Amino acid sequence: MRLKEHPILHFKRGRELTIYFEGKPIKAYEGETIAMALHAAGIRVLNHSPNKNRPRGLFCAIGKCSSCIMVVNGIPNVRTCITLVEDGMRIERQSGRARLPIKAKPPEFRDAKVVRADIVVVGGGPAGLMAAINASDAGASVVLIDENPMLGGQLVKQTHKFFGKREQFAGVRGVEIAKILEEEVRKRENVEVFLETSAVGIFHDGNEKLVLGVRKNREPIEFRGRAVIVATGAMEKMIPFENNDLPGIYGAGAIQTLMNTYGVKPGERVLIVGAGNVGLILAYQLIQAGVEVKAIVEAMPKIGGYFVHAAKVRRLGVPILTRHTILRAEGKETVERAVVAKLDDNWRPIPGTEKVFDVDVIALAVGLRPSIELLQQVGCQIKFIRELGGHVAVRDEWMETTVRGIFVAGDSAGIEEATTAMLEGKIAGTAAALRLGIADESWVKEIERAQRDLEEFRSGPFGRRVAEGIRKLLSEVGGNA
Amino acid sequence: MSKVAIIGGGIVGVATAYELAKLGEDVVLFEKSYFGSGSTFRCATGIRAQFTDEANIRLMKYSIERWEKLEEELGFDINFRQTGYLFLATSEEEVEAFKANIKLQNRFGVPTRLIDMDEAKEIVLILNTEPFLAGAWNPKDGKANPFKTLFAYLFRAKEMGVDAREQVEVVGLEREGDEITAVKFRSRGKVERVKVDAVLNATNAWAPVINEMAGLKRDIVPIKACKHQLVKTEPLERGQAEPLVCPPSWNDAYIIQDGEDGGIICGAGIEHEAKSLDDVEPTYDFLRGVLRYALMIAPPLRYAHVIRQWAGFYAKTPDSNPAIGKLLENFYIAAGFSGHGFMMAPAVARAIAELIAKGRSKVPLDWDWYDPYRFERGELRTSAFQIG
Repeated sequence: MRLKEHPILHFKRGRELTIYFEGKPIKAYEGETIAMALHAAGIRVLNHSPNKNRPRGLFCAIGKCSSCIMVVNGIPNVRTCITLVEDGMRIERQSGRARLPIKAKPPEFRDAKVVRADIVVVGGGPAGLMAAINASDAGASVVLIDENPMLGGQLVKQTHKFFGKREQFAGVRGVEIAKILEEEVRKRENVEVFLETSAVGIFHDGNEKLVLGVRKNREPIEFRGRAVIVATGAMEKMIPFENNDLPGIYGAGAIQTLMNTYGVKPGERVLIVGAGNVGLILAYQLIQAGVEVKAIVEAMPKIGGYFVHAAKVRRLGVPILTRHTILRAEGKETVERAVVAKLDDNWRPIPGTEKVFDVDVIALAVGLRPSIELLQQVGCQIKFIRELGGHVAVRDEWMETTVRGIFVAGDSAGIEEATTAMLEGKIAGTAAALRLGIADESWVKEIERAQRDLEEFRSGPFGRRVAEGIRKLLSEVGGNA
Repeated sequence: MSKVAIIGGGIVGVATAYELAKLGEDVVLFEKSYFGSGSTFRCATGIRAQFTDEANIRLMKYSIERWEKLEEELGFDINFRQTGYLFLATSEEEVEAFKANIKLQNRFGVPTRLIDMDEAKEIVLILNTEPFLAGAWNPKDGKANPFKTLFAYLFRAKEMGVDAREQVEVVGLEREGDEITAVKFRSRGKVERVKVDAVLNATNAWAPVINEMAGLKRDIVPIKACKHQLVKTEPLERGQAEPLVCPPSWNDAYIIQDGEDGGIICGAGIEHEAKSLDDVEPTYDFLRGVLRYALMIAPPLRYAHVIRQWAGFYAKTPDSNPAIGKLLENFYIAAGFSGHGFMMAPAVARAIAELIAKGRSKVPLDWDWYDPYRFERGELRTSAFQIG
């Protein structure tokens, strides 16, 4: 089902076209992804797992988890959450492991297209956009790539207003910030943008760094530069419980993508797991979209998110059950019920306290982990820092990793939020231009200013934990630039 | 019972430890990193008897007979599967060469036969038949899981009392006359020594380092570490390209479907002498090169995603045949496998273990052919048929 009215968002849908799901025509709109169009048509089971033939659906909706793979025009393993619909597309559920189309012809070989710039930025979210803008202003040519069909990263689904200082977009909604940053990037002549382009590897090739990109699943492109900024964001965490792979169990971000980016109603009745800021904001957004939120369960004894968010959600009549966890999901092909229970002081479910919620969606808002795959592949030193959400790359105060010329910014450097991601992006972009000898010394002041802003932002109770994590990372490299 | 030290915890060292323990020897096994870390866990998993000379054909025929029984003997799943090797000819001359090889292989009981491209297409569903004239097909060749195989050998070796030590580096050998009397090793930062009756150098690419420790010339067995790489696709349904498929005239490029997850492993003879013994960084040149060949062999691969690329060493001797035998009175070597260590291990381990424990072996291994001193004497063998 599609949302028609929304108190904040206005959905501009593209040209109407037809796709075919298992032979049946389905209405879709240009500019939306396959998974979104299918969800709008009520199709939630996207494939069956290879080993146990279990139904699977969306989970992350941003191309990271592969839970949404389907056979598209005969080609298996297509991530339907980031692949745009095309008129006449044939889409089938994948079952078992991929079978390659036997009749393929040998390709005619051409050398891959080469795109050169001083700096290659991977990821077009708040960190990557700010890195591109600042590197460009400091005099570097930049190429920015992102595997999603739009710029903005997770900003494109954030309908709440930001905190912080005015120059950090306080009071502006995330969706609006995305537009502002995109405009800034688009108007700079020395920044080139490639969307629907996945970075599959980083190589050292002579004196250059080579980011191998694959556009729209088929066209290889060599992005060559002297520095690379990895701003690949994060991935939603999953927690173990019975049937946690049932279609209808979505990461919180996926639900935001459905309703806020594409205007698709995620379901009718939702249980949210996790009462951090993401879970609380999600509850509010679901209610805005006309979805009933049955409850929020939180295993900790206290609500993790800001008091203002929690109060708002409670005022709307949503119970927040602390010291509760989800025991299992129930349903035949998709979620029909969720069973939760109270936890004792040793985190064990107390028998007899089970409650059953009739829901068709279970939202997991249980945290994120940094997407460090490219950093690890290129040989950056990696360390586990709990405060930063898991494994992260060791880096210095200028966001350069232990591999010279490879920088990191945003959630891929450690889980935080969009405001800090933008500041880190600014630092990484400027620092890369400085260390390549493109920017003059006056740009050091810009870095220092951003560092002060970061420090200020992190001085609150939430930020202190992050700051502690960053101290642990910096102790690995010692000293400043 | 004598004390035997094995240096090198790859498949050859570990399997030899197992065989020696079975013969009642007291074995200590040293691995400077983790077991399998050198070349074994980086290999392409293939096992074949399709060689082009008598010694290697006979050794591999015997080895495959061992592989066939290994799962039962070790009591673990090692996923040995006889899915065959299919070599493809691109010219009439090559077809003639295939015929000659097949005749030789048949003479020693290896059932290779020449097949046409219709049959080849039935065996390999995603094969591009157009560029090829015929195939050399041995259904008895195959593949196994290097991780499971090594751990199975290791488990049984330890069970019989082998003292298997990881992260322990051998730093010196003490020699009196023509005998090694003790091994010095570094364990948790401390150098210790152990008295030994015999030592086996099973360090493959690292073998010259150990030979030097034994007071021999570093290049008495001239082994070069050659960097070879592989790429692998995402998991795919089994049965699409199970055999190893290789047109030797295309820079010995090959594809083989992984016996576990069905991902397709792609290799090619794009070889560089390694810059150092820890130069295992994958390169873009290889990725680009190997995919060109792979897509010509099996065009449907253009729709698969490559998700992994890694490098390892072929420990190459000048004639691509390993050095197996005695270097000093009680100092043995089994190294320089030139890309064939995994497939040969079950045979070589038994042979060298018997040589060490009993002074002779029933394994049909041509000791003369693999004589480690042949390089010193300038007697190179005809090159072993190497691919990838």
